[in-house]
Amino acid sequence: MGLFDTLHIFIIALYALGTVLFLTGITTGNEKLKRIAIWLAVVGFSLNTIDLGIILTSDPTALSGGTFYFNILAWSVLAIYFFLWWRLRLEFLAITALPLALLLFVSSMALGGIRVIMPPQLTALFFGLHIGTLVLTLGALMMALGAGVAFIYYNRKLKTKAGLASMGSAVPSLDKFDTVNRWAVAIGFPLYTLGLFSTFFWYWIAPNKEFTWDIMKIGSLAVWFLYAFLFHQRIVLGWRGRKPAILAIWVFVGMCISLIHHTITFRVMP
Amino acid sequence: MNRQIILIGLNHRTAGVDVREKFALTDVENFEQGLMAHCPVLECMALSTCNRVEIIAVAKNVSKREVVDSIIQYWAAICKGDPELLLDNTYNYSGLEAVKHVFSVASSLDSMVMGEPQILGQLKDAYRAAVAKGTAKTIVNRLLHKSFSVAKRIRTETAIASSAVSISFAAVELARKIFGDLEGTKAMLVGAGEMAELAATHLLRNGVQDVIIANRTLSRAKELADSLGGEPIQIENMSDRLHEVDIVISSTGSPVAVIKAKDVKSVLKRRKNKPMFFIDIAVPRDIDPDVNILDNVYLYDIDDLKEVVEDNMAQRQEEAAKARTVVDLETDTFGNWLHSLNLQPTIVDLVEKTEDVAHRELNKTLKKIGQVDERTRKALETLVLSVAHKSMHEPICFLKRRTQEEGSAERFIDLARRMFNLDDESIPAEAHLDRKSNTCSAEDINDLIEASKNKEQ
Repeated sequence: MGLFDTLHIFIIALYALGTVLFLTGITTGNEKLKRIAIWLAVVGFSLNTIDLGIILTSDPTALSGGTFYFNILAWSVLAIYFFLWWRLRLEFLAITALPLALLLFVSSMALGGIRVIMPPQLTALFFGLHIGTLVLTLGALMMALGAGVAFIYYNRKLKTKAGLASMGSAVPSLDKFDTVNRWAVAIGFPLYTLGLFSTFFWYWIAPNKEFTWDIMKIGSLAVWFLYAFLFHQRIVLGWRGRKPAILAIWVFVGMCISLIHHTITFRVMP
Repeated sequence: MNRQIILIGLNHRTAGVDVREKFALTDVENFEQGLMAHCPVLECMALSTCNRVEIIAVAKNVSKREVVDSIIQYWAAICKGDPELLLDNTYNYSGLEAVKHVFSVASSLDSMVMGEPQILGQLKDAYRAAVAKGTAKTIVNRLLHKSFSVAKRIRTETAIASSAVSISFAAVELARKIFGDLEGTKAMLVGAGEMAELAATHLLRNGVQDVIIANRTLSRAKELADSLGGEPIQIENMSDRLHEVDIVISSTGSPVAVIKAKDVKSVLKRRKNKPMFFIDIAVPRDIDPDVNILDNVYLYDIDDLKEVVEDNMAQRQEEAAKARTVVDLETDTFGNWLHSLNLQPTIVDLVEKTEDVAHRELNKTLKKIGQVDERTRKALETLVLSVAHKSMHEPICFLKRRTQEEGSAERFIDLARRMFNLDDESIPAEAHLDRKSNTCSAEDINDLIEASKNKEQ
């Protein structure tokens, strides 16, 4: 087993241990366990960064190879989580970030052999605008998913006045969960728009490429419309709380379906 | 040497309010000095609050019965009450039972509202006063310091004090669950009842920035605004200002709802759906219950708040079991320390400690000089042990002499135990902050010894 494989095993072990410890910490109310879990995630994230660095320096064409996008996704989920942790003191969202990072990283290992063919032209621009923005959007939506589920759950508790004792001091306020949703919408939607329309732009400037509507593009556009509706209601009409939380979950589900569809479609491409 | 700890007290469980009033100590400090003068006690401390009186004493070499009787007589005389009545309403503990009771009181396990924080502050004040008057000495000092650390440990390790058990605190806690930090939020009192005033006071103390007081009688609203620092308005103008506030506390005597769901709906539109928290403590209710159906609006009436408080109380009871385990453990530890105040265990500990140091230094030296034969090793061992024992000769003689004196045994034994760190105690990070610059690492001490030698030369 080479250094590269050992690094991967370490990252998986750190993410897995962090996940288990954080979930145990949440259920037992043990602050120390939660803190250890976060630091394990920090170490895992650093190793994940080194891993990505090694991949890119050893093979600069890896970007167009597209075999490690789940790895980047795992990295971006944690990057966005750490940003929220720093800005909002939202340690709680590790409940979503850690298991998802683990799942995505393990998936990137499992899908290692699958080659997603990317167009050879304009790789840097394409990667920067399309993949980069979409990965960040997906990371933001993952956090919105966690915050949305938590908002709906605790909002219900506060409305029905049932089991409030279980809402200990470690659980953030509804306002903080809503702030995550607001950021995911305010930042995520423009990023998704940029990511999506850069593809259409690429079709326009790439030689020998003709734009045709297919189910994949229509699906992506449908998700964009759903996201645009959420953006409009939230930013323009001032929606808050439960409704945007539910809608953000649907946008996330739509994006996941679109992503899986893209992966399958690219797999069968010659 | 008899150093039995005796505790006599009464509380809300053993005595009614009339008895508690009668035997409350109004001048605790003089009472303590009187106890020292009139009763067979070496040290004492008294705590008197509205719910309890606790007298902690370290008895002289007399029977427990005699000490308890004399304290009861003195206490009754000071309060001009009947000693029989006092005896019937008090409890008394001795030895480790007394220690356990002090720990339970400090940790608020014995309080009327379990987990409330005030008792610890009251105990600290009482202790400070006893120290100032010189009635708290070695054992009471140690007992009280330990009780503070036990209380802190219980607060950290259990959730005994984590949830609100009063209506107004429950309201603050719920507001925090909705808004997070209450900094910058605004509240409105609809009606100027006493309970609403109390809830508003708690909210203001916890970060609420401003309060509007809407009342039918403007003069009463103004009066309350003066004490709370808010803005008084006529209740008829309430609906025009409702969109400005995040928290509404209502307590009018109106027989019909004063805030209706359809009004709140339009208020929400004006607020761009910013959440609102309604606390209805009026009976009959002031706020239409349908308000709670609206998104981003949370309505709690008096029954809901009571239920929250009851749930929290039940949770505290569960946590109390964990806390009592901590108290039991700490009582045993304190018992060990108390036992160590006899001269014999201290001498044994001193000798063991110096022998341990001698053996460690011997091993270091043997490592440095390499292989030696068994005879040389034995000779070196005899040498270091002999130095260790001889260096302890004078301190042990000193301790033996001083412990013959009445009342000073515990002080010197405790001092010796602390000086030689026989109980392996770690000094808390926040202790002796004023002397922090003088560190005590092995290197520092070696440097200090070297410097002292050089000065002498």
